[in-house]
Amino acid sequence: MWAKGLAALLGAALACGAAEAGTLDKIKARGTIACGVSTGLPGFSDRDAKGGWSGFDVDFCRALAAAVFNDPSKVAYTPLVADERFEALKSGQIDVLSRNSTWTIEREATLGLLFTAILYHDGQGFLVLRHPGMTSALELDKAKVCVQKGTTSEQNLPDFFKYNSMTYEPHVVETVEAAMKGLQDGTCDVFTADQSALYAERTELAKPAEAIILPDVISKEPLGPVVRNDDVAWFNLVKWVAFGLIDAEELGVNSQNTDKALASTKPEIKRLTGAEGGFGKALGVDDAFVVHAVKAVGNYDEIFQRNLGAASKLAIPRGLNQLWSAGGVLYAPPMR
Amino acid sequence: MKAMWALLAALCLIPAVARADEASPKVISLDDGDQLGRVSDEATEIDDGPYKRQVVFYRTNYAPGTIVISTQERFLYLVLGNNRALRYGIGVGRQGFQWSGMVTITRKTAWPDWTPPPEMIARQPYLPRFMAGGPGNPLGARALYLGATVYRIHGTNAPETIGTAVSSGCFRLVNGDVVDLFDRTPIGTKVVIRQAPEL
Repeated sequence: MWAKGLAALLGAALACGAAEAGTLDKIKARGTIACGVSTGLPGFSDRDAKGGWSGFDVDFCRALAAAVFNDPSKVAYTPLVADERFEALKSGQIDVLSRNSTWTIEREATLGLLFTAILYHDGQGFLVLRHPGMTSALELDKAKVCVQKGTTSEQNLPDFFKYNSMTYEPHVVETVEAAMKGLQDGTCDVFTADQSALYAERTELAKPAEAIILPDVISKEPLGPVVRNDDVAWFNLVKWVAFGLIDAEELGVNSQNTDKALASTKPEIKRLTGAEGGFGKALGVDDAFVVHAVKAVGNYDEIFQRNLGAASKLAIPRGLNQLWSAGGVLYAPPMR
Repeated sequence: MKAMWALLAALCLIPAVARADEASPKVISLDDGDQLGRVSDEATEIDDGPYKRQVVFYRTNYAPGTIVISTQERFLYLVLGNNRALRYGIGVGRQGFQWSGMVTITRKTAWPDWTPPPEMIARQPYLPRFMAGGPGNPLGARALYLGATVYRIHGTNAPETIGTAVSSGCFRLVNGDVVDLFDRTPIGTKVVIRQAPEL
């Protein structure tokens, strides 16, 4: 009894004061992953009439559940507004936050959180109406720009125009709706906000095809899943499920060909599928955890296209979120 | 020499052995893109969707002017610099163009002639022995020859085959696009061909 207590003490000391250890064990005992998502954001976190969840952020929860349980339905969703999301994670109400949250130093240095990976490179962009053929934000000289008050977009705007030797006429409005109205009635040529929001707003226009979202982003908004900083093992697993989805795309493994991938003789495919390496076991799950996730939810490209890409109403191009080897910056360390 | 080029060109076309032949021997069906005499002029463009010619965000270390072909995506990128590329929709080889790498444009031709080789005639006896270049020619309005290979970037008289994998290895664009690319692309241009990864 004493020895056990001592061991526990020692363990706690070694873990540098970890408040809670063994998140994965708790998840396995509970039978579900508690996943925090947005209360509603088109393409990222949508709830249908029957209460079912879908979206890019939701699919990551499902991929995690498939990696742990080989069953993507083993998720308990907690819809969270922006203000309460990090507290929900810190308090242990959720195991992981998959809710369009930007990775910043403030959040890791002061909130006791760890961002696991970047799954979506968002950034401030420009939605342009009545200027067909425009291809670059550097063509916006003398534009009338609508921007929402009190946002980082408002802060970034003067810097961008000044840096690129351009002038503009700002129209600071209270709401996104007001900005979209200004764009449509001609008060503004362009509305600036995070690109993912611009794509969602564009679908509300009478003729979405007439509006152009310029490919440039002028700020970094890297979004990805977040965990508490008290359980490195869980952090590692979440991180490598994210990397696994990206590596699967890069290696050509998708939801339709996992059987073929499992039979592959190529070393890098065998390591991804778990036929070699034993990395899944070392992380506390099945060696084939990436295959389980990809088979259930798809690789990164399938998840992107279904929720955000050409197959969705948002029709967001891969852009920055294309693989590093194909014109974007999406990059995952290798599984070896 | 010219005959050899024509023969190489013919290899690019579809080996359209109609699969329905056994069931109904009197019906000879053609695969898409092999519709001889169907007219598609230089003005043919794709008006909408991902295969429309468009400027896109594209980061690369290749110099402006380089062509990057992504067979998996069915896109051809002409690198413009400033993180931009002009993207064209393409049709690609049915079996995949089983190599990746870099070649250069070695020859350019407007309205190329087509001389199907004997083995193709044997498979498809209805094919002409020679077809002069023109709007009804399956090779389309322009052809850009890729290095010393039998493959090329060419036009088509069947715009609906863009985005599909139907040819025997060439890259086809609608005529409006291949004319546009032809005019922007000097001989000596580098062409990088990328394949889908294999399991």
